Amino acid sequence: MTPAAEPTGHLAALQAPHAAGGRHRSHKQVWENSPQRLALQTWVLTARILRRWSRDPATLVQSLVMPAGFLVALDIVLGSGIEAVTGRSGLYGQVPLVALVGGMTGAIIGAVNIMREREVGLLSRFWVLPVHRAAGLLARLTADLVRIVVITLVVLCVGVALGFRFEQGVPAAIAWVFMPAIFGVALSAAVLTLALYSSNTIVPQATEIVIALLMFFSIGFVPLDQYPGWLQPIVEHQPVSYTIEAMRGLSLEGPIAEPVIWTVVWSAGIAAVCAMPLMIGYRKASKRG
Amino acid sequence: MIEHSIVSAAPRPATVPHAARPVVSTVQQWWVLTVRMITPTLRNGELATQIIGSVVFTIGYYLPLKQLMGAVQPLSSYAQYLTPLIVLQAIWFAAISAAFRSATDSVQGINRRFRAMPIASLTPLASRMTASMYRCCVALAVSVACGYVIGFRFHNGIVYAAGFVALALLIGAALAFIGDLIGIATQNPEATAPLMLVPQLTLGLASVGLQPVQNFPDWIQGFVRNQPLSQWVYGLQALAGDSTDKAPEVTWSVLAPGLAWAVGCILVAVALHAMVTRRRRR
Repeated sequence: MTPAAEPTGHLAALQAPHAAGGRHRSHKQVWENSPQRLALQTWVLTARILRRWSRDPATLVQSLVMPAGFLVALDIVLGSGIEAVTGRSGLYGQVPLVALVGGMTGAIIGAVNIMREREVGLLSRFWVLPVHRAAGLLARLTADLVRIVVITLVVLCVGVALGFRFEQGVPAAIAWVFMPAIFGVALSAAVLTLALYSSNTIVPQATEIVIALLMFFSIGFVPLDQYPGWLQPIVEHQPVSYTIEAMRGLSLEGPIAEPVIWTVVWSAGIAAVCAMPLMIGYRKASKRG
Repeated sequence: MIEHSIVSAAPRPATVPHAARPVVSTVQQWWVLTVRMITPTLRNGELATQIIGSVVFTIGYYLPLKQLMGAVQPLSSYAQYLTPLIVLQAIWFAAISAAFRSATDSVQGINRRFRAMPIASLTPLASRMTASMYRCCVALAVSVACGYVIGFRFHNGIVYAAGFVALALLIGAALAFIGDLIGIATQNPEATAPLMLVPQLTLGLASVGLQPVQNFPDWIQGFVRNQPLSQWVYGLQALAGDSTDKAPEVTWSVLAPGLAWAVGCILVAVALHAMVTRRRRR
């Protein structure tokens, strides 16, 4: 009987789930950073964010009450004027506009949340758990996607009560519901990037001004020909206008393919610019402290 | 008997420190706490955000709505008609900042700390209100400057221009007080902005600031005419005047409802403030 015989078995059992290179086996042959785990882990983290939002009165007011009130006010104030100028209801521009604005302002809440989680060390905590490295970030964006779709549905209900109707059939209506999410998630990624590189919540909150600019100077606020001539090209080609144009095509009438392509191009462009800084920033925020 | 009284009046043991408290000056405390609120706004971008925000909202209302609303409003130019609303929106944004700061102070416990110190109980509130009035003055100056750029002018002379400023500051004080109350009551900095933005957007759009009351649907005209923002817009439009005689006249019947709304808001907010503070003190 050698002295080393007994501890060998014991140690082997202890070391079994570990492997060189810092990769940990959670289960048989499934690594912590395997794509197989990613979907499940992303869903768990997304559900966590959504559950928190659903219990936070500020988020609920911002996502549900504000867009509804804003749409009603916008329709009362500008509805008759727009109908007099264009001959069709202003709702087909206002409903998409309010859904987009609600979705975009909500990105600020997500950014403030992530900054707080960085301060209290929750991000660092997740970083030392056997979780896929991309799950945290993907969960943020997925939660934003769900939030924007929910806001769109709420605004749609108010719009239908005011007289909004789908004239292009069910598939177009389903596509309509997901249109604001395309640009909304891209903007969320941009605001998150900004938040991860700033120490003060005033920086992400200042994006409210960018959102206000996108709102005021879009074809959903007033028709294009109401803007001064020098401003019209800017108004026409900015992403919110393209999204609204696409959504008008999907609900009432008008071109669909071109504005959809431009919406995707704008969103993909913003996402491409933000992708690397966002990932690096998230990694840095997770390794803080 | 005499000896006994001498014993009882013996000096306290020297181990208990009982040095005389330094003299505190309420004015100095108020000033220190006010500077504490104001200095960060210069550095953290709050002031810059406020200025840029006012500019954005000015052009955001003016450029798109100039044609659409310019035809239906009675004054000489849409800039003259719109500027009171821009001023009010800027002041409202300043009040949102005030609410955010008051909620932050409340949730971080600095107010509790102040209560444990030799500071008069009203001094922190007074300093917060002073800082709010500073924000309000900035908002007023920037928004009037924006109005001047798009074509707004004071047509009624210096006295009524001063009246314009005074009314705007009174409204600003009322809104700041409400903001401070919301901050103290919710103790939730993130909740303050949505809570105050909903009334700002809905009251702002459904007011006579963008278009005359006749252009609204019949069923809502009563609300639009009588809600506080509209009455304030009437008051400010009257005090600013116009090159034509279409502006509301400066009479008590025009100014009184707006003044009443502002004073009423302050009274209600003060009462609720006292209630919340007393409950919290227990």
